[in-house]
Amino acid sequence: MLKIDNLHVAVGAEDNKSEIIKGLSLEVPAGEVHAIMGPNGSGKSTLSYTAAGRDGYEATRGSITLEGADILDMDPDERAAKGLFLSFQHPMEIPGVQTMHFIRTAMNSQRKARGEDEVSAADFIKLIREKAKLVGLDDAKLKRPFNVGFSGGEKKRMEMLQMAMFEPTFSIMDETDSGLDIDALKMVGDVVNALRGPGRGFLVITHYQRLLEYIKPDRVHVLAGGRIVKSGGANLAAELEKSGYDQFVEAA
Amino acid sequence: MSNSLLINPSAFEAGLEAAFRARTSVTETHGAAYERFASQHLPNRRREGWKWSDYNAALRSVSPASAPDAVETIAPSAFAPLDPIEIQIVNGRVILPTDAAPKGVRFGIMDAVGTIPELETHAIASMNVAMSPKAFGLEIKNGVLFNRPVLIRHIGNGAAPIFSQTMIRVGEKAFATIIETYEGATPALASHLCHLVIRDGGSLNRFIMNETDDNTVNHSICAAKIEERAHFRQTSLSTGARLSRHETVLHFWGEGAKAQIDSAALLRSDRHADFTTHVLHKAPGCETRQLHKGVADEKGRAVFQGKFEVQRAAQKTDAKMTANALLLSNGAEANHKPELEIYADDVECAHGSTCGALDADALFYLRQRGLNEHQARALLIEAFAGEVIDVIENDEIREVYTAKVSQWLEARA
Ligand SMILES: Nc1ncnc2c1ncn2[C@@H]1O[C@H](COP(=O)(O)OP(=O)(O)OP(=O)(O)O)[C@@H](O)[C@H]1O
Ligand SMILES: [Mg+2]
Repeated sequence: MLKIDNLHVAVGAEDNKSEIIKGLSLEVPAGEVHAIMGPNGSGKSTLSYTAAGRDGYEATRGSITLEGADILDMDPDERAAKGLFLSFQHPMEIPGVQTMHFIRTAMNSQRKARGEDEVSAADFIKLIREKAKLVGLDDAKLKRPFNVGFSGGEKKRMEMLQMAMFEPTFSIMDETDSGLDIDALKMVGDVVNALRGPGRGFLVITHYQRLLEYIKPDRVHVLAGGRIVKSGGANLAAELEKSGYDQFVEAA
Repeated sequence: MSNSLLINPSAFEAGLEAAFRARTSVTETHGAAYERFASQHLPNRRREGWKWSDYNAALRSVSPASAPDAVETIAPSAFAPLDPIEIQIVNGRVILPTDAAPKGVRFGIMDAVGTIPELETHAIASMNVAMSPKAFGLEIKNGVLFNRPVLIRHIGNGAAPIFSQTMIRVGEKAFATIIETYEGATPALASHLCHLVIRDGGSLNRFIMNETDDNTVNHSICAAKIEERAHFRQTSLSTGARLSRHETVLHFWGEGAKAQIDSAALLRSDRHADFTTHVLHKAPGCETRQLHKGVADEKGRAVFQGKFEVQRAAQKTDAKMTANALLLSNGAEANHKPELEIYADDVECAHGSTCGALDADALFYLRQRGLNEHQARALLIEAFAGEVIDVIENDEIREVYTAKVSQWLEARA
């Protein structure tokens, strides 16, 4: 499904680039959920931005393919239409942008790019009400400008609302669990588990094992110094929680 | 007046003087107004307050035609669905609606004003006073809450300078909504002067929409007298012209009055829009809110000059001014000049001004969700202008403005 091969990414000003991802390889087969853990500054968000196509996070070497298609040459919206979703570590507030209008435009734009029919206004309202309830955002929040004045946890719920609406083929969740209360953690688990299935994949970036109790990952990888330094089963997360990353920082 | 009153007149000014001399029924006040204009000439960039809007440069080599071109057909206004009382001022000539004025409202054609004290030193306003043939007058009588909008369409065509005036009076505790549109093609100046008075406790919502063509040079100036506890609210939207300026000169005469003056400019190719305002607080406890949003693409130029003046007697004045510019290309320009001149000590006055490009992080976020570049930019531009447009309380009027913004965004290459 998502295949990252020998990826190198350099960020920073044009004349002062530093390499953050240094030959990272990783494959998430269809139907699986993989977790990435790793110390602060190890390049987890850099990896997710590169996959999503953010300016300034271009790969200098290597490739990322989604269902066999090379996505590195695609515009961010083409990647989204292909089914790639990024749940942002720090979701933006976008003043003046009406939440419902934006999500509907996004949804229809993705569908159009895929040659699908647009969703009708009535179906959209029905769907967003249902999903908003699932993620714990009330109607009043949907009527506010996008994320404006939202708490950290509410912004994460808004990310999950969009993930639930779009039903992406592949989701990268960058620390969706940070700042969430216990009920919200469980909600994130519910959203992921409802989508989980043979045609979908997930890459869950987290610092804590807690979320992984709700989302049982098929594999856990440790990212340190711009590379995957260790991979294992779900129990690796628990081990890391005990032992920390010191061992890997040395290794990287 | 056998000798020219102008020293070294430009082709345009010479043509204007000939037109003035050809006028019949010129009174002494007209003559005095003309002299005030002639002693100053058309403002150029070296004149204080005209640095970014040089009318002399734009007009000097235009030889004005002696008569405007006929306006053959007038398309229905975008505001027609509101069923307004529609007045057309076509090439300076007032065309009244055929139906009679409703109860509590009086309107008609009246003599143009001889002088407006607030505007005596203003060159273009003086020219307007000297040249305007007739004025449109509107009065909302005391206590009348008039909900039907009054639409005044200024439509011009052709290479002759065009002058018009409107006189508006909103009575005590009365309410009115006025929409003014500027339409057509007037490369040799369309000048409009408005004098309005809002009596004690009265309230006026004034909407301006400038949708003139690429070659137009126009200027409008409104002098407003706001009396005790009166409310004035003005929302303007301009897609610019070759040179376009809307001036608002607002005087608070009585205590506890309020004004909100919002404006937005959406400019592309080499269009220009200038919003210049001067709010004079003469009485205590008045409140002013002003928000300007200028969007400039290609070689567009958005000019904002706002001045709050607070006289010594105007204690407890509460006035805030904000101007934001959004530049969408390297050739675009925004010029802001916010000014506070305060002579009272117990006041709250502030101004802020920003200028920037679209937020790259927000653009990426929107595109990650599937919006293409055009859609993402349009959404953010709409949001930017929306701070002026979305707060329009009247749903139908807001829809016309929103549609105008969408139309502008869709035309974007
Ligand atoms: N645009 C940028 N310009 C310069 N340096 C950057 C840029 N983006 C990331 N970096 C640097 O790259 C390194 C990796 O950052 P990244 O955000 O990917 O870490 P992370 O693993 O997500 O950390 P955290 O766990 O704190 O979220 C950091 O040292 C960071 O300062
Ligand atoms: Mg991160």
